[in-house]
Amino acid sequence: MKGKGKGAQDNECPLMFPDLEPVDHVKQCPRYTAILSRGESETVGLEELDIIQGDLETLLANAGKRLKVLENEMQILTNWQEKSGEIKPAGKIKGGKVQPDTPNKRGKAADDKPSKKFKDTSGKASSFPPASKLKSKLSQMKLPEPEHIEPSPLELPKLPKNNAVNKFWTSVEPYCADITNDDMKFLEELLRTHEDDAEYLKVPSIGMHYTEKWAEEDLLEEQKQGSKISEKRNGVSDTNGASTLLKSAETSIHDESPFGVLTQRLVSALIEENIMTPIDDEMDEDYPENDSFNESAAISPKELAKQLNLGNPVHLEKRIKKELEDQGILDFDESEEDDENDEILRELRSKQAELKVICQHNILATKKLYKLAKDEMAKQELKKKLAISDSEIMESYRKVQVAKQKKKTPTKKERDAVLKALKDREQIMKTIDLNV
Amino acid sequence: MGRTKGSAGGGSKSMPPEGQSPASSEVSTSSSVASAEIRIKDNLKELFSLIHQVQEERTRGENNLTNISKTHERMQQEQKITPYYKNKLRGLYNNAMQDAEGEAELLRKALDKITEIKAIRENRRFDSDRPKPIMRRGVLMSMLQQNAVTLPLWVSKPGEKPPPLCGAMSADNNYVAKPGDKVAARVKSSDGEENWILAEVSTYSTSTNKYEVDDIDAEEGKERHTLSKRKIVPLPIWKASPETDPEALFPKHTLVLALYPQTTCFYRALIHEPPKKPQDDYSVLFEDTSYPNGYSPPLMVAQRYVIMCKEDKKK
Repeated sequence: MKGKGKGAQDNECPLMFPDLEPVDHVKQCPRYTAILSRGESETVGLEELDIIQGDLETLLANAGKRLKVLENEMQILTNWQEKSGEIKPAGKIKGGKVQPDTPNKRGKAADDKPSKKFKDTSGKASSFPPASKLKSKLSQMKLPEPEHIEPSPLELPKLPKNNAVNKFWTSVEPYCADITNDDMKFLEELLRTHEDDAEYLKVPSIGMHYTEKWAEEDLLEEQKQGSKISEKRNGVSDTNGASTLLKSAETSIHDESPFGVLTQRLVSALIEENIMTPIDDEMDEDYPENDSFNESAAISPKELAKQLNLGNPVHLEKRIKKELEDQGILDFDESEEDDENDEILRELRSKQAELKVICQHNILATKKLYKLAKDEMAKQELKKKLAISDSEIMESYRKVQVAKQKKKTPTKKERDAVLKALKDREQIMKTIDLNV
Repeated sequence: MGRTKGSAGGGSKSMPPEGQSPASSEVSTSSSVASAEIRIKDNLKELFSLIHQVQEERTRGENNLTNISKTHERMQQEQKITPYYKNKLRGLYNNAMQDAEGEAELLRKALDKITEIKAIRENRRFDSDRPKPIMRRGVLMSMLQQNAVTLPLWVSKPGEKPPPLCGAMSADNNYVAKPGDKVAARVKSSDGEENWILAEVSTYSTSTNKYEVDDIDAEEGKERHTLSKRKIVPLPIWKASPETDPEALFPKHTLVLALYPQTTCFYRALIHEPPKKPQDDYSVLFEDTSYPNGYSPPLMVAQRYVIMCKEDKKK
């Protein structure tokens, strides 16, 4: 069977008249033919086995195919005869090889093909007017496409592009790309952000203790609630009362020492002096005053503070300290004395220390990077120049080559250009070597 | 082709025979060289007569085929297909089918005979005291090529399905490759990379489910690998006939593992063109990053060395 069937069929005839020509063994199976021509006394050689195997397999494949085709045809024939009532007399004569487009219609799965075929046939026979013949013919020619020989390539996936390579290179690209001015700007900006680092190392002054704050808030809340009721009654409210109320409560709690350590020390130092001077100079005269002083000393420090109208003892402490330091009496206290009991402060300090180290490192790294980038930029510049110079040289080389082909000696101008390009390149190479 | 799996696969158990081993087990290793010689001679004789029988059968059938083609022509010339012709055609077809069956049967017998002779020859080679020869690369390559060409052809009878290990049909899950069978083995090389190599089964341990396989390429040192079953893919033991068993071939664009020409390694490839004739090879496109589209130009690889790609999507 050599693939050229006599598949001329009428529209109504489902038979395919397949070409069942057997293998021409003289042409296709030379070894087989040779063995056949041997006499009875001869035999097959051991070394011939592989070749004869191939020949026999060709024959076997042919026989197997023929068997399948025949079976298929038989099936069609049987089905056709059963439905023969519907068949219209043939309208066209078609000689041997009129429709070479459909020669390979054979060997389809027996159950699949005939049913298709019959739909086609009956459809045309009953409903299609002659005008649609062309169409039906077309559909017929399309029909043999799902061919037995081609294993039903229904939904073939598109050849997937092997993209792994490009993916890899794009992922690597950023690491190899040239350094641009934008990159430099970014680095500079990064450095600038570190200027604000000091901000994070400040310790905010200690405020009100949270219990006090909360108490105040609670009280305020309650007062508000209360005032709502009282508002209804007399429309007068007194929100300020909260802090005063609290303060009065507070003062009664720690009556003894509203002043800081420094204030107390200072005062006590002054008091002692006060005591000493009158004794030296005018002991007797000042006695009553002394008395009164004693009296005043006897009053509670709290009362004293009130009398002196000192305001916030904390601020006083600070002012005193500043004054003392300015006067040079007290040494500058660099590391503000930390309250050892203040765990929040402790934590804050340790975190700040960590932050400091990290910032330091970041600044160093950024600076290093910046320097490297700058160097690299310079190198890039040189490389660009080199590339330009290279292309110049290539250009002049090409020119010279062309001139040579035309059997012309290059002009002086051209020669100069070449020499200059070469020199330039050498210069660039030197600078690169120096830089590297 | 009617040869059963047993006759094609069951090599002699006592010794690992070389190549695929479709030997009948009566070939004992003790048989002397001389007796093997005689057996081969007898078989060759039988083969000779089988070939003649085939031709007789073919000549007989030829008449009928000529008849059919004549009838076809006549039917096409006449405008009407009469019931007479239909009946006649049926008869002719029936005869032709019987002829074809008979012819195929004889051909199968002849081919079986060839396999048998080859098996005896293989065993004789083993009996000789010479150990397995170490081949030069060129010799090895041509031997592998020859192995592929002479892989038996499977032609299904009507209504028959291609068996496992015929062309693209994968083996049963519980299939165990026999000693001497060629397989693709996933082997970790010294540099840690995993490759599918062509190997020959040495033993299989049922207790551990592990194979011992030898690298087919002896040049690289006699390497023996112990591998779990998962890392072994048996090669087909039949070629599929594209004309009768297209379902046993990998369709176009299938991702497969194929033996790269002139190597003993399997690489990922796409089927470019399945074979058209029994002796044809696949045309495949190997994944190759040195080409702009990621695939090599079409290369020919025999059916024997194209297997299903197991590692589908790693991503």
